[in-house]
Amino acid sequence: MFLKITLILFLIYIFFQLLYIFVPLFSIKDKKKREEVEKEKGISILVPAYNEEKVILNCLQGIVNINYKNYEAIFINDGSSDETLDLLKHHLQLEPTFRKLAAVKIPHEAIIDIYESKLFPKIFVIDKKNGGKADALNAGIEYARKELVITLDADSILEPHSLQVMNTEFEDKQVLAAGGMVQIGQGFKGNFLLPEPTFITSGIIRFQIVQYLTAFYLHKFTQMKAKSITVIAGAFGAFRKDILFEIDGFRKTVGEDMDITLRIQRLIKMKYRDCKLIFVPEAICYTECPATYRDLFNQRIRWQKAFMDCVVTYKSSFFTKLGFRLSIFFLIEAFLLGTLCAFPIVFIPIMLLMNSDHYMIVLGFLTATFVLGIYQSYTTMIVSNRLGLNYNKPDYLKIAIFIPIEVLTYRLLGLAFVISGTTMYFINKDKWNVATRVGTNNQTYNEGTFVLTEKAG
Amino acid sequence: MKRYIFNITFLISFLVIFSIIVRIYYGDFEEALATELDFFPPDESLPLSECKDWGGGVRDFHIEPGHGAKEVSVLMYHRVIDEDDLGENHFNDNDELHSTIILKNTFEEQMALLHEHNYTTLTAKELLLFLKKEIEVPKNSVVLTFDDGFKDNYVEVYPILKNHDFHALNFIITAAITKRDPKYVANAYQYLSTSDIQNSCDVFDFQSHTYNFHKRAFSYSPYLIVKPEEEILEDIRNSITNLGGRNRAFAYPYGAYDEKAVSILKELDFEMAFTVIPELAKPGIHVYEIPRIEVFETDTLKDFKRKINLIE
Repeated sequence: MFLKITLILFLIYIFFQLLYIFVPLFSIKDKKKREEVEKEKGISILVPAYNEEKVILNCLQGIVNINYKNYEAIFINDGSSDETLDLLKHHLQLEPTFRKLAAVKIPHEAIIDIYESKLFPKIFVIDKKNGGKADALNAGIEYARKELVITLDADSILEPHSLQVMNTEFEDKQVLAAGGMVQIGQGFKGNFLLPEPTFITSGIIRFQIVQYLTAFYLHKFTQMKAKSITVIAGAFGAFRKDILFEIDGFRKTVGEDMDITLRIQRLIKMKYRDCKLIFVPEAICYTECPATYRDLFNQRIRWQKAFMDCVVTYKSSFFTKLGFRLSIFFLIEAFLLGTLCAFPIVFIPIMLLMNSDHYMIVLGFLTATFVLGIYQSYTTMIVSNRLGLNYNKPDYLKIAIFIPIEVLTYRLLGLAFVISGTTMYFINKDKWNVATRVGTNNQTYNEGTFVLTEKAG
Repeated sequence: MKRYIFNITFLISFLVIFSIIVRIYYGDFEEALATELDFFPPDESLPLSECKDWGGGVRDFHIEPGHGAKEVSVLMYHRVIDEDDLGENHFNDNDELHSTIILKNTFEEQMALLHEHNYTTLTAKELLLFLKKEIEVPKNSVVLTFDDGFKDNYVEVYPILKNHDFHALNFIITAAITKRDPKYVANAYQYLSTSDIQNSCDVFDFQSHTYNFHKRAFSYSPYLIVKPEEEILEDIRNSITNLGGRNRAFAYPYGAYDEKAVSILKELDFEMAFTVIPELAKPGIHVYEIPRIEVFETDTLKDFKRKINLIE
């Protein structure tokens, strides 16, 4: 009976993996020049910041280099205890501003002050009492004046054309929300305006580069095809502001990004049946990924806790208020295969030690998983190439060698993350591990960019 | 176009590699799945408590000394199938009936012949005492044995034996016994259910054919030969538990045994064990190596008469 169940689960696993490999492979065409809409819709960029002194200026650099006119950027200092606010004040030459206070539609912690930059009139800073990321975003959307809202993590840097791309996607009235492509900043070098991908970096970063590309280009893309996106990454998401108000903003939880995505999906299913939530591979932001095992562990524990929180919160909504396919992706693929199965998998070596009769069976499962993993990662690189992420030849060689090793080594870390995260969710639901930011940036700013420090000085 | 060709090539390469993997492991998975399904739990007892205790009284055959049988034929059967029920699973690759199958008509004729010649079907205990020269048995004596415990033993064999007032030893692979009692399908590999066992134990003396060691290892050697002693001991002990402690007789799967197997049976207090050496059983032989003569569908009446040691 045990083997039968395992086999059925494994067949389901293979089915999803095949979707992730062949749907993007056959539907992502080579990159061609995008026709961008000329008329710019107003976009408010919201950047919640809690103790982000090491990275906030990088984020700011990205914003001031945006190739878009009709935008405003609002940094929300969520009661930072470090120099975040002072840095912003200094570099932006902030001045308190009178800004019409919207009626409080979504409750949030008290606002201390609102500033406007003398240097960049489109940039504002809200200084508020600490209330968490969701709370900061809620304050942000109340003060946002534009039609579209983009949420951006303070450790993320917008690619200059990203707003144009988003603007074009939102021409389609049925698009309620869109997720951007999150690239790993450490995987690029050279001029920020013309970044060059590189694979010369540490193993833990390489692992995350391949993983992010796979998660976005293969998984999120396939999920979009199935109308089943379960999370718009908090690092870079775009929303229609009225929709955010309609669902009462962000909920205070470990994973407010997955939470808001599921609530929008519920709204689509219940009310706006023709509308959709999309993933836009061409809208790019660069984020700094954890460079140490400790930070990576903390981040993934947070993600897993966030996921578990959504499983519990939305348990009664699946299939009824959330679409069938989305429920299948969420409950079967992510929860059953991705979370529950991690627990028995770690016992396999122990079981083999006790009874070696089935070693051929275990070897069979391993071989199939290995081949699927390799094919998926290679597909990732093929699809990435088509989308314009072109490494040089030596890097491709490194990638080709790295992938089989990664499947057998780094990927196993995922089991540890899932198991620890799930366990810790039930032990300590609300503890929120804040990642430490390193603030390294491999990219430089040369021509056509603002050198903030000099201007501010 | 170039992309399209690339995609197709990529897809084909995947299919090729994946089907190779499937081919490599298919056999292992098939075997593991087949053996895993619905084992009778090793720690439970079959419903044998109200059954006849076959070790009880030995019949007094009233034979004057020296007038009993000199040797006794122990017949071995596996499956008995009605001709109308024959299906593809009953034939081998050369379209011949499996040697372990005998048609119901043939079996009926054979039993009728035994009845006609006044044959006595001996119990295991009677055979044992005969072999130990402690009792005499009638000249026309025979021991009927069935191996593996297929469901047809209940559906086809039981009524015939019952009709002639015969009884037989039935060596069952206890793990294969099912708690569910599905409808009899001759073409399927169905084993006796617990209720079949309960309903037929007035004719069959159920004994051990291992718990789940009726298998061959990768080297094709039977488990009883290649498996470590502890594992064999454990397996057979499970079968005794299933049989409610009955450990009078044992039949070696595939007839394969060695000194180790014999010593294990002794350790488990079995009184006798059956091989597949086609000879008549004579008093004085080793009781852990009792020969048995297999009956085949292809046997002529003459063959059968020889096998039952019938001198007309």
